[in-house]
Amino acid sequence: MVMPGIETTTGRADDRRMLAESVADFARRATDMARVRKWRGQSPGFDRGLWREMAALGWTGLLVPERFGGSGLGLTEMAVVSRGLARALTPEPLVACAVLAARTLVHCQNEALGAELLPRIADGKLIAALAWQEQAGDLGGGALATRCTQSAGEAVVNGSKRFVAGAAGADGFIVSAQGASGMQLLWVPANAAGVSLDLQPLADGRFSGLLAFKDAKLPQRHVLASGEVARAALDRAVDEATVMASAELLGVMSRALEMTLDYLRTRVQFGRTIGSFQALQHRAVDLFVQEQLSSAVLDDALAAIDERPDDPATAAQVSRAKARCSDAASLITRQAIQMHGAIGFTEDSDVGLYVKRALTLCAWLGNSAYHRRRFARLAPDDSE
Amino acid sequence: MSDWNELSDEAFRKEVRRFFETNYPQELRFLSRRLRWSECKPWYLTLSKQGWIAPAWPKEYGGMALSPAKQIIMVEETERCGIGRMPDQGITQVGPTIMRYGTQAQKQKYLQPIIDGEHVWCQGYSEPNSGSDLASLQTTAVREGDSWVINGSKIWTSMSMDASHMYILVRTDRNAPKKQEGISFMLLDMKTPGITIRPIRNIAGHEEFSQVFFDNVRTPAGALVGELNKGWTIAKALLGFERLGIGSPRRPRYAFTRLEKVARSRGLMDDPAFADRFVQLRLDLADLASLYGRYVEQVRRGETLGPDVSILKIWSMELNQRVSELLLEAAEEKSMYEGALDFDGEEVDVLAPFYMSRPGTIYGGSNEIQRNIVSKDVLRLPAK
Repeated sequence: MVMPGIETTTGRADDRRMLAESVADFARRATDMARVRKWRGQSPGFDRGLWREMAALGWTGLLVPERFGGSGLGLTEMAVVSRGLARALTPEPLVACAVLAARTLVHCQNEALGAELLPRIADGKLIAALAWQEQAGDLGGGALATRCTQSAGEAVVNGSKRFVAGAAGADGFIVSAQGASGMQLLWVPANAAGVSLDLQPLADGRFSGLLAFKDAKLPQRHVLASGEVARAALDRAVDEATVMASAELLGVMSRALEMTLDYLRTRVQFGRTIGSFQALQHRAVDLFVQEQLSSAVLDDALAAIDERPDDPATAAQVSRAKARCSDAASLITRQAIQMHGAIGFTEDSDVGLYVKRALTLCAWLGNSAYHRRRFARLAPDDSE
Repeated sequence: MSDWNELSDEAFRKEVRRFFETNYPQELRFLSRRLRWSECKPWYLTLSKQGWIAPAWPKEYGGMALSPAKQIIMVEETERCGIGRMPDQGITQVGPTIMRYGTQAQKQKYLQPIIDGEHVWCQGYSEPNSGSDLASLQTTAVREGDSWVINGSKIWTSMSMDASHMYILVRTDRNAPKKQEGISFMLLDMKTPGITIRPIRNIAGHEEFSQVFFDNVRTPAGALVGELNKGWTIAKALLGFERLGIGSPRRPRYAFTRLEKVARSRGLMDDPAFADRFVQLRLDLADLASLYGRYVEQVRRGETLGPDVSILKIWSMELNQRVSELLLEAAEEKSMYEGALDFDGEEVDVLAPFYMSRPGTIYGGSNEIQRNIVSKDVLRLPAK
């Protein structure tokens, strides 16, 4: 697929522009703040009909290899979609399903289950979620309390999983569990016996899942991967989703900054627009600096993960992106409240919707403090 | 080699690196101060003899006509090797200005001596009463017969003691409707009678800049570059590239190497509170490199830099100050002492980066002015 020369890069740039236009067009046509408000706290928190439309546009299969019915594009293209949809606060669980879960499936290299599940994710019929976390602040390094044992030729899962993104409305879960010989990843249909799901409301009106397994019995062929393969699949998919969450944060902060600048240009106090006050102008510039840094760092992380997925330095780049985008989105959305004044603190103002989406995205997949520590651990001494 | 552009980027980089490593004096690497002309003249002449002194200039004037990509490579290798900044105003500012706006006679008179290191240029912009408000400058040039007669004073003129010539902004029309419209751009021989230089010792004790007085300084009519009263346009055109240079990660990276040395030597990396602040700065620096890379890429593609390049200067120079402050803190009592101190066998002057970092937010347009520019020309915030 790699073609030499400049044509490829400009060709890709044109493709991305067209993709960005189609995402913006979709956001204008298919969603608005009234819809975002309507789904808040209403299970499953998003519109399955719109999900199918997004699948028809190719977005749920964007990262699915062509042989499994997807388009096999890169994270850079997916970031265009994630960022564009996040600008409109679209609540559909695209990153949770089409990145985190789908990419885990891809990296498990399980041909049979891949062929069964991935085409259905690509065509929007199957929503999958990854259930791997058990403790706050543990993104995969710690010991697993969830166990997978063997009984009468079946895999039996006991334990529980927290913070499951996209759990509401999911048709099945990829679950990590401690097996006899290391970690295993299993495919668990949502309706399997012994599986129970508690939906927990998030600040932004979406849901995360608390998933419990009590002697949940699964056929052996539902074991997606074991040991090192499973560990590597998980690590890589989590990194990919972390970059996508960063792209979403960029979309959220960009729109919040635009709204704030618009307000500064139009709100009149003391007989002049408040955007003419130098104190606010300089603060706005500082927000713009953070947004531009985020965008530059994200581009570098995307290039790294698309072009050098096996390079150990890539994981450090991922942490760099999530740390910067989280901090920048926090700062910008907080300042959006401040510069809107009291109206920014009201339920009626859309500012709050952006603040809350930023809150959940910042905490998801490792907050900035987590990623700063991870960067320190991963980055070679002479890096950058 | 007559055309370095024919080499591949990688081969060119290798050649540049080899040449720099072989020929640039060890004792002048990674200095925390600007080089005097007497120190760096041999290196200037070495580069000149190699044909490398003016990478961006066309060949007809003795330049390399190097592609933007390869120019960037030279900058990167210059930084990598720790080569000090020479008086480069002739190459980067005066030469390109004369090529674009100068007469045939000016080209013949001034370009070759820059290449040969015979003329060293300094910049006459700021005045005692015209700092941030540069366009209010009051140094006048009045036409008398075949001469311009200059009266007034310039200040913060870097390296003027080493300069043979000055390019200067002077007021040639006191009655212009806008202050920017009565300014002209002129060239001046520093040996002209009536010029007095008073060196100013800076906060670090170095005499790197000075005040220059003009008392009926007569310079030939041919000193005017471009159109009369259109000097502001020329000066503005020169500023964008200057901000890219100031915004390079070079300065904060140097300060950071000092910080790292001191912190390791004092065992501070084991203190989690310090480690978190250290890694924050490390990320700030890495993210600056990403942002810088973006602007470099713009130059590489031959695009003109927009006013948004100011954010690079804002971030880079403020980061430089944050790093130098943490260095003072890390050195604890040792930050009280002037001069180089021993840290595990390596000499570190902990005060030098602190002193060096202070003017960075003032020169080249203070950071407050940069924020004004971004606010007005990028964010389009209103004037009233």
